[in-house]
Amino acid sequence: MAQPLVKKDDDRDDEADYSPFLGIEKGAVLQEARVFNDPQLDPRRCSQVITKLLYLLNQGETFTKVEATEVFFSVTKLFQSRDIGLRRMVYVMIKELSPSADEVIIVTSSLMKDMTSKTDMYRANAIRVLCRITDGTLLTQIERYLKQAIVDKNPVVASAALVSGIHLLQTNPEIVKRWSNEVQEAVQSRAALVQFHALALLHQIRQNDRLAVNKLVTSLTRGSVRSPLAQCLLIRYTSQVIRESANNTQTGDRPFYDFLEGCLRHKAEMVIFEAARAITELNGVTSRELTPAITVLQLFLSSSKPVLRFAAVRTLNKVAMTHPMAVTNCNIDMESLISDQNRSIATLAITTLLKTGNESSVDRLMKQITNFMSDIADEFKIVVVEAIRSLCLKFPLKHRSLMNFLSNILREEGGFEYKKAIVDSIVILIRDIPEAKESGLLHLCEFIEDCEFTYLSTQILHFLGIEGPKTSDPSKYIRYIYNRVHLENATVRAGAVSTLAKFGAMVDALKPRIFVLLRRCLFDNDDEVRDRATLYLNTLGGDGAVVETGEDVKEFLFGSLDIPLVNLENSLKNYELSEESFDIDSVPKEVKTQPLAEKKAPGKKPTGLSAPPTGPPSTVDAYERLLSSIPEFANFGKLFKSSAPVELTEAETEYAVNVVKHIFDGHVVFQFNCTNTIPEQLLENVTVIVDASEAEEFAEVATKPLRSLPYDSPGQTFVAFEKPEGVSAVGKFSNMLRFIVKEVDPSTGEAEEDGVEDEYQLEDLEVVAADYMLKVGVSNFRNAWESMGADCERVDEYGLGPRDSLAEAVNAVINLLGMQPCEGTEVVPSNSRSHTCLLSGVYIGNVKVLVRLQFGIDGPKDVAMKLAVRSEDEAVSDAIHEIVASG
Amino acid sequence: MGLWEAFLNWLRSLFFKQEMELSLIGLQNAGKTSLVNVVATGGYSEDMIPTVGFNMRKVTKGNVTIKLWDLGGQPRFRSMWERYCRAVSAIVYVVDAADPDNLSISRSELHDLLSKSSLSGIPLLVLGNKIDKPGALTKQALTDEMGLKSITDREVCCFMISCKNSTNIDSVIDWLVKHSKSKS
Repeated sequence: MAQPLVKKDDDRDDEADYSPFLGIEKGAVLQEARVFNDPQLDPRRCSQVITKLLYLLNQGETFTKVEATEVFFSVTKLFQSRDIGLRRMVYVMIKELSPSADEVIIVTSSLMKDMTSKTDMYRANAIRVLCRITDGTLLTQIERYLKQAIVDKNPVVASAALVSGIHLLQTNPEIVKRWSNEVQEAVQSRAALVQFHALALLHQIRQNDRLAVNKLVTSLTRGSVRSPLAQCLLIRYTSQVIRESANNTQTGDRPFYDFLEGCLRHKAEMVIFEAARAITELNGVTSRELTPAITVLQLFLSSSKPVLRFAAVRTLNKVAMTHPMAVTNCNIDMESLISDQNRSIATLAITTLLKTGNESSVDRLMKQITNFMSDIADEFKIVVVEAIRSLCLKFPLKHRSLMNFLSNILREEGGFEYKKAIVDSIVILIRDIPEAKESGLLHLCEFIEDCEFTYLSTQILHFLGIEGPKTSDPSKYIRYIYNRVHLENATVRAGAVSTLAKFGAMVDALKPRIFVLLRRCLFDNDDEVRDRATLYLNTLGGDGAVVETGEDVKEFLFGSLDIPLVNLENSLKNYELSEESFDIDSVPKEVKTQPLAEKKAPGKKPTGLSAPPTGPPSTVDAYERLLSSIPEFANFGKLFKSSAPVELTEAETEYAVNVVKHIFDGHVVFQFNCTNTIPEQLLENVTVIVDASEAEEFAEVATKPLRSLPYDSPGQTFVAFEKPEGVSAVGKFSNMLRFIVKEVDPSTGEAEEDGVEDEYQLEDLEVVAADYMLKVGVSNFRNAWESMGADCERVDEYGLGPRDSLAEAVNAVINLLGMQPCEGTEVVPSNSRSHTCLLSGVYIGNVKVLVRLQFGIDGPKDVAMKLAVRSEDEAVSDAIHEIVASG
Repeated sequence: MGLWEAFLNWLRSLFFKQEMELSLIGLQNAGKTSLVNVVATGGYSEDMIPTVGFNMRKVTKGNVTIKLWDLGGQPRFRSMWERYCRAVSAIVYVVDAADPDNLSISRSELHDLLSKSSLSGIPLLVLGNKIDKPGALTKQALTDEMGLKSITDREVCCFMISCKNSTNIDSVIDWLVKHSKSKS
């Protein structure tokens, strides 16, 4: 027996990297698991088998219900052994198997016994398992022991109870909340881990009570936290408190800043870093506040530990985006990091330098980047490319060298994402820097001469079709484009044909040459390419002569298609079966998807090729399309404004409802976005009953119910009101959600036949004056003000009464009017006694409005305001005054 | 002298050490956990909490070590009894002899269990507990009520005991010790 074992060990030396369990089979291990039933247990053997079972589970192997049950019950028999090691494996196994509730209850009594055992390890582990498997009723039975365990003098036991509390808080919050006293005691524990876990639990218990969190942070920041981990948590909670209180006190000293600053001198590096990061992420952080944080991060930059260097450079990189000047002190340290062995550090260092560098250092940096570009992975190259793009937008004069750099790396090897990032950057530069257009387009042309990505080729061809004809010499791009017709696959060829046609349509002088090229494409072996060529040849007209292309033809060929492709596809499928001729106007324009989802979809950062040239469709466009697709609302005219969604329910309630107010000239439409958060329910015939008794000028005209609202897929219901035209009628509406609720069987997902009618009270909703005002900025307020003239100016003075601060008063008036602050005048310098704020907007009826607000504050915080309004219409100027007077 | 005898017992137990495994089942509140306590320590307590799941106890009597699986008697555990009865030396079925209302359920649960093929041939010991209470059944009545006569495929024995007064506990232990020998 000993012999083969020794041999095995020798084998293992050769391939030390492999797991000793590599290649074990489930069937064999399940056979081995029979040793659990032996009358004479061998604890060592049993531990080994459990390890194998755990290994299989972790490798993604699944046990059938029968297998799992069999294993579970035989594992429970191991409770007879007193071997501590084996017992621990039993605990782990029960947790990992997580058998069904009706089976796992069998170990409850044994776990409860272990939970009060004298062996610390038993207590700790039994608590963890028991809390995993327990339900509410049992929890009340063991609550007493858990409370005891939280203050257990053994830190392992106390931690186990605290962590279990964190888990249980999700399912049984009201029970865990009763443990506050014990948890508070544990926060004072000497053991680092206990303090850490206790603080986390205490915060979670109180997280919905802002005042309590505030109190917790206030008391702990006075310094009783010993564990570095807990201190890090405390820093996070503190910055959360700072964030939330920032709105109330804009002026004066920031609360808790001293605490954060003090943490920069802590002896644990992780605390120092956490504090430094928290400071850099403060809202509207000043350079005076930043300085100490930057200083410690700078020290980290020259640390011997890679992780500290990485953390510091990453944080500085973020700071560089908002406060480039603050980071310049670190530039020398950062430059030495460019040659850091760790490429992630080097990349972050160089991109930070790019952001903070001035115009003169760009060339030197570019040289250094070129040296190491070949050493880093694609994802870091993308970071570099993005940094260069923003650098180029910052220093347009440097576009030549930066564009050259981009074109050079474009020629090198690289994956799709990387190439796409480069191409996107070039496209953005072409769009934003007119001088870079010609060279940029030529770089792109060269790139498609040897481009392996069909997607990029077609996108570039499309872009060339838009930008190429507008250049001084469009003809030089023709060769590149026509080469595609010879050399590429069918998709790219079809794209090239379209681009050629665009040149023909836009540049009349080129038309004869384009026609020659298009005629050649008629012999292509791909249907699509031939079809396109034929279409363009026939519609462009002129038969090859130099004539102007009609606007209609341009619109037909190159205008945007405002019909969702899905709808078009469905209509075409129906058309194939029918006899009638196809009419594109009959295709429904209704967008099936939720407009909110659409809002998220257009990229968060500037997208290059993927965005249409007009920019992503705004939310207003999406709403407008949605509303015009509903016949009841189609005759309301043009949508003037859609408000941001207003929540009508508390977070985490059964049904989540928010409302968007759509303002038309003579109507108001409430769009209620409803979400059903109960998996066992299906709601049908959902409407919102809006009571307008407190809004006299409004009369309900239409309701559009939501036919069905399944779990977790949002839907909308609409209510429309008529109101006097052009008047900013205001009012308060109370709302009631009414629906038919049907039980859903969670296993089959099928709803029952019969439903019950039910109602759900929503919060009130108000239409205010600001809803009739569009936020539209003006670039030069003084010019606009002067040109508007004093004909319709209305000036008056108002007393705003006592206010906390000038800033608060300014904010209140801006929110009341719902106008766009201009030239940064919404920010009130701290400690100032007077302030002028400039606002602009468009009032309902498309009347431009400019407002100049002059605020003054006197001793007992009384704020006075002088309001000057200029607009194109006296009535509107008066209306603005009325809003302020009544607000 | 006593010391010497104890030493001899200890020596004897070293050489003739024997093991047995028992499962203790029966409806809730029949007195299973109390029986374990009486056998193990001789102590008795009036207020017990229901067993949620099982208790595992090891008891040494003379030279025999008894592993006791004391299982919960609530309905949700009854389907799991069988798993802990497989391959035991004997099944001990405890009945509350002073609770005639539940006798029929007790009988059907017992017969259901014994019909399982995995448990065939395992000796059965039926204990009528709580004979200290007025109105407790006699041994004959219990044998009839439980239908013990109809069980023919295994050895069946019945004792009337009281955990509270430790009545007949010794004869139960004797019976068990005797059966451990036949097993090993």
